[in-house]
Amino acid sequence: MKKSILLGVATACALNATVVSEISSMDDISKSGWVFVSSVSQDTTKIVQEVKQEKEVKPAPTKEFSDEAKKWLRLAPVPAPSNNKVTPQRIELGKFLYFDTRLSIDDTVSCATCHNPDMGWSDQQTKAVGVGGAVGPRNSPTIINSAYQYHQFWDGRVRTLEDQALGPIEADVEMNLSLDVLIPKLKGIGEYVTLFEKAYPGEGITEDTLARAIASFERTVVSTEAPFDKFIKGDKLAISTVAQEGFELFKAKGHCTDCHDGFNFSDGSFHNLGLGDGDEGRVKVRRGVTKLFGAMKTPTLRDVTKSWPYFHDGSVKTLHEATAICGNGGRFADAKGLSSFIVDRGLTPKEIDKIVEFMKTLEGEPMKLTIPTVFPK
Amino acid sequence: MKILKIAIPLLLTVCVATAAEFEVVQKGKLFEPTAIDAKVGDVIKFKNADPFAHNAFSEDGENEFDIGMQAPGEDYTITLKAAGTINVECAIHPSMQLKITVN
Repeated sequence: MKKSILLGVATACALNATVVSEISSMDDISKSGWVFVSSVSQDTTKIVQEVKQEKEVKPAPTKEFSDEAKKWLRLAPVPAPSNNKVTPQRIELGKFLYFDTRLSIDDTVSCATCHNPDMGWSDQQTKAVGVGGAVGPRNSPTIINSAYQYHQFWDGRVRTLEDQALGPIEADVEMNLSLDVLIPKLKGIGEYVTLFEKAYPGEGITEDTLARAIASFERTVVSTEAPFDKFIKGDKLAISTVAQEGFELFKAKGHCTDCHDGFNFSDGSFHNLGLGDGDEGRVKVRRGVTKLFGAMKTPTLRDVTKSWPYFHDGSVKTLHEATAICGNGGRFADAKGLSSFIVDRGLTPKEIDKIVEFMKTLEGEPMKLTIPTVFPK
Repeated sequence: MKILKIAIPLLLTVCVATAAEFEVVQKGKLFEPTAIDAKVGDVIKFKNADPFAHNAFSEDGENEFDIGMQAPGEDYTITLKAAGTINVECAIHPSMQLKITVN
């Protein structure tokens, strides 16, 4: 609630301001009332080039990396559907929409409220908090690398970022604004009309172009180079010896890679960790597959140090506890639908600490991003 | 009449013989093969060779299907009902993708 009010105040102030006020931490928010802003302009051209590489430009040569290294590095261009290729205009429009609290019923909540760039693109809350302090059923997942995922949401109920974008706007515990109201509202903002025309010429402001624009910005939220990436490329001093030992445990005794595999440290699959909270998870989406009871999508571990608390119920505050649950048989060994991958591996507290040290090395350099403070009028 | 007694069984034999069966092995969280060219009436047999559960489903029109939960070692077969492209996926492991082109 407090954060929503602060974001709303910040936006109201921003509409009359032309100067970005830079805040270095959430502590400063209580003093100034402004939303956290990162410095430096967003380098959108790099993302556009990555997408273009799929069709026009050959991928960057990977011969210099070993097969082992290629497995762990983000080498593939950011995927984008043929009807929504990324352009700077679409990113710009999508960014305004993503941070604009006018997309909620009381002008206090935006996508960024729950997916905050300063909080690992999550919100560091147990469950998502929407308009009026409404508490949602699940923890806000990070959106880092979501463009690479096969499905969106914890239960994978939609496939693409375009399919995902509008749900939270209408959800009553999130932004609670009907699209029947929002679309005319946006059409009444002249500068949005101009931005939509630049991004989607001739298509106007519709639910489809709204979703595609937000998805275009979300496509730019990708992991940056982390100490682990430098290590895997050959810099053996990039991470500590303890972290290196943790990586070996991660792959071997811990069996973490059964689910947290590849550059995104996620197999995109659905597993039940035995948390015992009663959430049916993906089985509500695919009723015939009883194995999916309580199963949730494996989240990425990129920037995992920032996106606490953990799991779909936000019940775990530390990586140590999260690792212990995953690695030592789940919270409840007799939980209905417990994944066959969740087995007691006998990890000791010291071994878990080493795995945690390794996971810390997945925190990348801060993403270059300028958050709008003056929105379309 | 004698000709019909020969022709009809022969015709039926030819029709049955043209329905092919394709085996798709589910192993290492992958479908193998990942693409099949088939005909209407052909049969696809999904064979779970992994030590954990799998699934296969498609939401494509007349060929929509869902085999439900498939335990390790279990086989399931489906028959292709209509021409078109079928995108098959495992509901548990979305990395498992198979494209069937039905002529």
